[in-house]
Amino acid sequence: MDQLSDVLTAISHPTRRAIIGQLANGPARFLDIAKPFDTALNAVTKHLKLLERAGLIEREKRGREVLISLRGEPLREVAGWVHEYERFWNERLDQFEQHFRNKKKEKK
Amino acid sequence: MKDAKKTLEVRVQRTIPASPGEVFDGWLNPTVPGNPWNAAEKFILEPKVDGLFFWTLNDTSHYGRFTDVERPARIQHTWVSPKTLGEESIVTLTFQKKGEDTLMTLEHSGIPDTDAGRGHEKGWNHFLDIFPGQFGNGSRKEK
Repeated sequence: MDQLSDVLTAISHPTRRAIIGQLANGPARFLDIAKPFDTALNAVTKHLKLLERAGLIEREKRGREVLISLRGEPLREVAGWVHEYERFWNERLDQFEQHFRNKKKEKK
Repeated sequence: MKDAKKTLEVRVQRTIPASPGEVFDGWLNPTVPGNPWNAAEKFILEPKVDGLFFWTLNDTSHYGRFTDVERPARIQHTWVSPKTLGEESIVTLTFQKKGEDTLMTLEHSGIPDTDAGRGHEKGWNHFLDIFPGQFGNGSRKEK
């Protein structure tokens, strides 16, 4: 799968979205991430693997601890894809509006 | 059982410093920058109900048929392109008088979701709700 598909898969599950929501507040240790969920630790591990495959999280070793943090870049790719037509129409309408503003200036 | 097709919708608005009639005419005038036909390498434009349009840019062709042409208030046409997977989506433009200006609203609805996106729309909305900062300048999308 391409990265966009990986990201869409990753954000399709409520638990993974909740994990991302949690990590948006800052990096966390695995057990802190798992604490709010009423689910087995290996299920959380699987969710984290999917998030990692999508490039949405990264792990960093600090001393004895491994901190997991959120990476926002792949989310922007999703936003760009969702908003492709939005971008197209905004660009068109920006030009259209500018045309009328120029015309108004010329009249003055 | 057949699932209903998921679609996306885009809505953009601008306040244009001209009357609704001028803005309406400008949208259908290929010499005016910003309308879809202005940038086209080739185009056909027949802006009346059941009239057709075609335009092509960078080897990508767009087709549609006008379903409503009501000067100066409203234009509606279908929109078919490779990005709509050959399906008809709907573009609706409205022009409302706002003092000396015109509030122009463009809604593009029925944009088919693709296989990759199917089933993820809730996920995107959730993300757009909780991570506005992550998405850069995408705030003009209303839905």
